Amino acid sequence: MKKKIFTLFMLFVAASSGCKKLEVNPSDAISTGTLVTTNDGLTNALNGAYALLKDHIAFNGTVDNNNMYLRQFYQLSDFASDDITCGQITEDPLFNSFTLGHSPSQANTRYFWYVSYKIITGVNTVIDAVEKLPDPDAKTKQLLGECYFLRALSHFNLVRLFGQPYSIAPDAPGIILRTNLTDEGIKARSTIAEVYASVLADAEQAAALMTQPRGVQYASAEAANGLLARVNLYKEDNAKAIEYANKVINSGRFSLSTKATYPSLFANATTSPETIFCIAFTAADDYGKFGSIASMIYSDGNSGWGEEFASSSLRAAMAAHPEDVRWSYIVPSKDASGTVQKKNGVEMYYITKFSFQNGQPNLSSPIMFRLAEMYLIRAEAEAKTGATAAALDDLDMIRKNRGLETALYNKSLPQGSNALDLVLAEKRIEMAFEGHRTYDVFRNKRSLNKNYWGYHILGLKETDIDLGKTPSGYQNLSVPYTSPRIIYYLPVDEILTNPLAIQNP
Amino acid sequence: MIKKLLLLCCCLLAMHTGGFSQEQRVSGRIVSAKDSQPLPGVSVALKGSSNIVSTDGSGAFSIGTPAGKSTLVLTFVGFLRKEVEVNAGQSSVQIRLDEDVQQLNDVVVVGYSSKKQSALTSAVTVVSAEQLKDVTTNNVGSMLQGKVAGLQVVNSSGAPGAAPDIRLRGVSSVNANQSPLFVVDGIIGGNYDPNDVESITVLKDAASTALYGSQANAGVIVVTTKKAKQGQTRFEAKVATGFRTADFGKLQVMSSNELYDHQKEFYRDYILGAPDNSYKIDLGKFYAERPLTLRDQNYSWPEESFQSAPIYNFYLSAAGRTEKNDYYVGASYYNEKGTFQNTKYQRINLRGNSTYHFSNKLDVTNNINLSANMGKSYDYMDVYYSFLNMPWDNPYDETGKPVYVDGNSTFKWWSRDKVNPLHTIENSDHSYKGFDVNYDLGVNYRITDWLTFSSSNRVAASFNKGTNFVSPLAAGTYRGSGYLNELNTLNYGIVSNQLLRFAFKFGDHSLNGFAGAAFEGSQTEYSGASGRGLPEGLRVLNVVSNNQLVNGYNNQGYLQSLLSQVDYNYKEKYFLTASFRYDGSSAFAPTKQYGSFPAISGAWLISNEDFLAGSNILNYLKLRGSYGITGTQDIGASRYLGLYSLTTQYNSVVGAVPYQLASPTLTWESKNQINAGLDIGLFKRVNLTVDVYRNNTKDLLLQVSQPLSVGFETKWENAGNVVNKGIELGITSANIQNKNFDWSTDFTINFNSNKLEGLPASIVKTGSWSISQIYRNGGNLYEFYMPKWLGVDAQTGGPLWEKLTYDESGAVTGRESTSDYAQATIQESGSALPKFQGGFNNNFRYKNFNLRVSTYFNYGNKVFSNNLRFMMNDGHEPYYNQIQMPDDAKIWTGPGDTQATEPSPQNSANSTETSTRYLKNGSYFSIRNIALSYRLPKAWSSKINMEGITVGLTADNVATFSNFLGQDPQTTIQAGSFGTPGVSDFKYPNNRQYLFNINFSF
Repeated sequence: MKKKIFTLFMLFVAASSGCKKLEVNPSDAISTGTLVTTNDGLTNALNGAYALLKDHIAFNGTVDNNNMYLRQFYQLSDFASDDITCGQITEDPLFNSFTLGHSPSQANTRYFWYVSYKIITGVNTVIDAVEKLPDPDAKTKQLLGECYFLRALSHFNLVRLFGQPYSIAPDAPGIILRTNLTDEGIKARSTIAEVYASVLADAEQAAALMTQPRGVQYASAEAANGLLARVNLYKEDNAKAIEYANKVINSGRFSLSTKATYPSLFANATTSPETIFCIAFTAADDYGKFGSIASMIYSDGNSGWGEEFASSSLRAAMAAHPEDVRWSYIVPSKDASGTVQKKNGVEMYYITKFSFQNGQPNLSSPIMFRLAEMYLIRAEAEAKTGATAAALDDLDMIRKNRGLETALYNKSLPQGSNALDLVLAEKRIEMAFEGHRTYDVFRNKRSLNKNYWGYHILGLKETDIDLGKTPSGYQNLSVPYTSPRIIYYLPVDEILTNPLAIQNP
Repeated sequence: MIKKLLLLCCCLLAMHTGGFSQEQRVSGRIVSAKDSQPLPGVSVALKGSSNIVSTDGSGAFSIGTPAGKSTLVLTFVGFLRKEVEVNAGQSSVQIRLDEDVQQLNDVVVVGYSSKKQSALTSAVTVVSAEQLKDVTTNNVGSMLQGKVAGLQVVNSSGAPGAAPDIRLRGVSSVNANQSPLFVVDGIIGGNYDPNDVESITVLKDAASTALYGSQANAGVIVVTTKKAKQGQTRFEAKVATGFRTADFGKLQVMSSNELYDHQKEFYRDYILGAPDNSYKIDLGKFYAERPLTLRDQNYSWPEESFQSAPIYNFYLSAAGRTEKNDYYVGASYYNEKGTFQNTKYQRINLRGNSTYHFSNKLDVTNNINLSANMGKSYDYMDVYYSFLNMPWDNPYDETGKPVYVDGNSTFKWWSRDKVNPLHTIENSDHSYKGFDVNYDLGVNYRITDWLTFSSSNRVAASFNKGTNFVSPLAAGTYRGSGYLNELNTLNYGIVSNQLLRFAFKFGDHSLNGFAGAAFEGSQTEYSGASGRGLPEGLRVLNVVSNNQLVNGYNNQGYLQSLLSQVDYNYKEKYFLTASFRYDGSSAFAPTKQYGSFPAISGAWLISNEDFLAGSNILNYLKLRGSYGITGTQDIGASRYLGLYSLTTQYNSVVGAVPYQLASPTLTWESKNQINAGLDIGLFKRVNLTVDVYRNNTKDLLLQVSQPLSVGFETKWENAGNVVNKGIELGITSANIQNKNFDWSTDFTINFNSNKLEGLPASIVKTGSWSISQIYRNGGNLYEFYMPKWLGVDAQTGGPLWEKLTYDESGAVTGRESTSDYAQATIQESGSALPKFQGGFNNNFRYKNFNLRVSTYFNYGNKVFSNNLRFMMNDGHEPYYNQIQMPDDAKIWTGPGDTQATEPSPQNSANSTETSTRYLKNGSYFSIRNIALSYRLPKAWSSKINMEGITVGLTADNVATFSNFLGQDPQTTIQAGSFGTPGVSDFKYPNNRQYLFNINFSF
């Protein structure tokens, strides 16, 4: 017995004194040091940067389904425009874009800012690692080019939302540029002009590096040229805008959707010949009612909230041409008797540019660049440089593919109009809901006219709405480009932690 | 030296055993002096010998004595020690034992060791099973509310099976775990049923917690399960059954009529800035849009969704002791239906505790606990709509079934969203199941008289499964497709402690203690899957046809330690204890894994000094003091590494996303604790304990905010301090004690203040709904940070907030009001943590009747009543039901209305944005529990062969007195992922509970 007890005792002592190495590795993450040493790791990091455009990642300790880069981008851009009206007061900060009641603590701008810089950090890590390689092959250079492209696009979208238009104040504070891994965290905002220079340099480098296109779900030389055309147009470098638009148009890789195919362009973005670059959403990325881009602007009755609608202002701009196939993305919600239904007094015209991939109401692969925009960029630059006939030809190129064969300009300016107005009017209809309208209005130093019914009008009650009249006596019916509220406040998080970052007025 | 000690001990031992050749027996019976009830399990020892027996079920004993006179020493938990002189051969000795009101000689389990209460040098509170039994719940935490000075217990949710938030002496960490460590039967962690609990010891200062080193920052709660007390097998049975109702507090929604009248305010003729406002209510328009018939449609959504629900608790145990074996077997079944439809919780628990005495040197303890639970949880959105849907909408169709409504429904539906939560509840469920096994193996081997090897080990494993199911019939995003999501969690681990214990006594000096090693390891494995496209009627993953997603990951953590403690006392007057623990944790980088946690404490038992001997006023007086360090490492694995997470995909290919900044020097957070205490016993009936403490948590494991533009929100660093200072008072008093009537009172209160220091910069945490809290130097934890609400502009009816102006140095130079929310100054607005809280409990006994009333109070905290954002919304969302306004609330009616407290619905831009408008005083006083019981006369119970039967009625959560507007003010202070501490959202309401209990012993 004693021996047995002694053995038992020794066993316990042995068991407990076996000094273990206390090392634990995470099961679903990889250390940064390991990541950059393998090709796979770098490819994964680039893929992760794309994924951040569509994922809902944790912010402030929570995964909030409202938070998605693209959802935020479209809402912050287009809910501030005259294309979309608000049918429902809501606690969601998207409401601030309608009312201009911005705040540095609104969750959507904070998340957008955060994820933009996470994308940038991710690609900066890859750029840093690849540039240390002695002689990268074409495939690796393609990856590197995509990284430069994503950095350029992220910085550009940031400067559009948080900095004034280049054409208005090039020396005003832009955003914080992050172009390497070594800068201090605390850093001042660069000027708008500096940001544009950085974006252009990155995009040019990207265009030169990318020679192995991987499909429209990934960046390509043409996507980079498309970005260069857009940025130069915003910068009012019209010659360069035309030059880069031509590069894309003449690449031969893309063609405009036709009257027949346009209505299904957005549901089939990844296979459409018009798509230059889109963000791939697969069935696994169908976020449903609580997290998709579509759910705020469309509902089949169950699929979404459907609380924001195509504005009467946009519909009026399209009213002359009911045959225009671009109407196919504006779908009225009708009751049994065929009357358009109202939400809190506002007519419900759903928007379907972000729906119906695989037939799903909340699924689409949002298009970042498509050929039509290149024609419109070229047309605007031409219009601004006096090449009116060429500009009108570009508009006709679009119009004849949208069911307006009988309403072409044929190089002649209609009486009492000017080419730039026509280009902007065409762009408004063609690119509606795709995140262009507010920038196009304000950078051209125009006012945004929001004189229509909707809950951007503060204090409006359903009973005040009289669809037979236009609203009057309310505030917020017009937004001049001089308003400080055409852009958003920097997120409070940045201001509190980065003393060099100066808040917007 | 050791050899000498050994020799000494052997001599002592030899002296004791030389002896008693001629043995005779003394027998008798021991009863309680109070009610003459027999006392089973009393230890009867022959003074000066090792002869010990215990009384049987009828209080009888028989013990061998030498010839002539000898002395018996009688000890029993809860009674005063007594010495009785007997003559050899004497039989039928009747001994009456007096109850020990002050229980100073009780043995207290303080984690790795046990001590007599009088020998304690640390701040410790013991709660016996007797004190816990008034409240019936599945969680011990809820039972402790108001019974331990310094322990804050918040029952923030009434969901079936919900656990409360528990905080000891305030909150001392920011990002690390803040819940006390639970230790069950001497081993960290573990599972148990509240019915099996014998006693709970709350360890409050470093003198006792430092032995738990890196896991003890938030205090330690030691749970001891029941063991056999006497020879004969005894059974105990308990049945409790009753029902619960939802307690909405002051969240009373408007009835149809009230809402109807309220909405007239929306029709006031007023456009801000317009020249021709009449400020009159346009009744014509109102009646056109709100027909009078609406008044006849009055459906209370909360009352339809929350209904009274039954609760049952059954418990049966057997305990006994033979010469070789002590055993306890307990079985419990707990079943609770939720007040919210389709929610419930049930749990079954089996425990077997056995100690086998192989020899007088070797004991082996085998304890096993098996438990299984299952239940149904709820969806937040269903609760949300149950409060907010309009009383003008009928939840049911003509057949009485919940009506189906969606965006395509053509009938009039007033509520903001076309959602019927009752229909959703009927067509979905959120169920969970779990199974848990604990096995403890203890070995005690007395190597020599002064040295014991003791080993305690636990293997634990649990498996939990959660399912979310939405039928294709439910309205909403899964209409027609259905949705199924399952998550499985497997958890397993071991804890092993090997200690050598020693105990010496030479003359007036005694020295004891232990040294040893410990190891803890645990692993968790998660796996889950979800998908849509379910055929109607089926709900397994096999039939999911689209959107299939899978997920899974593992976690692990290890801790290895050395630990030791030495206790010294001189003449039972001066006590000194020192302990040391050395911990290594896998949470940190290899060079930063180890930390030291020392503690020292002392006590002077003044009442054992001659000058106080025999005092009838001051019969007990002890002064205590302690200093020590505890730590925290509980922040999750690998926080020191720079990481890319691989959990996402783009275009169906894996993606790596920047996840965490590297922090290679990250290490322990340590809490330096100083405690001084005084224990006073007066008139042999009043006990008073006072403790003061100052706890400084240094090198906080803090998520330091980064400029967002680096792509990371935070970086883990050791930065800043939290200082908690407080005073605790506990009083127990036997006010009246006689044969027929007893009245006793206990009272606890603690004041705690905390302050942040040494932060590199202020941190603002903004959670859901843009509700922020600021962590700043000199500020409190969980301090709300928001614009200050100034009420209503009497001229325009618009909302007003405070705007401060500052001079260059940052000092406030002026205060003005603004109706532009963006201009309002964000300010510190008070903390979610109370200034003081405590309990006041009274027990009355008249003959066989007993009445216990427990109350709890909490003062000085702020609670953000987020519900009001929706339910007092100034017409922003006219199709949400509203809260019944307090009597002094008034909506603005026209220029010059200085009485108005609520803005004009016509001019209320941003009025529901986060501000102090909804930040309310969270103080309350609640009657926590009333328990009335009657003990059947012995004559009756013995007729059915029962030893005792007690019947009782209890009511829980009887009433809460508070000015708080919203659901009841008990609000979570968990700084978890979803919630901000102190924010009351649409929560599962707490319950009032009414129970009928019967206890049998036989």
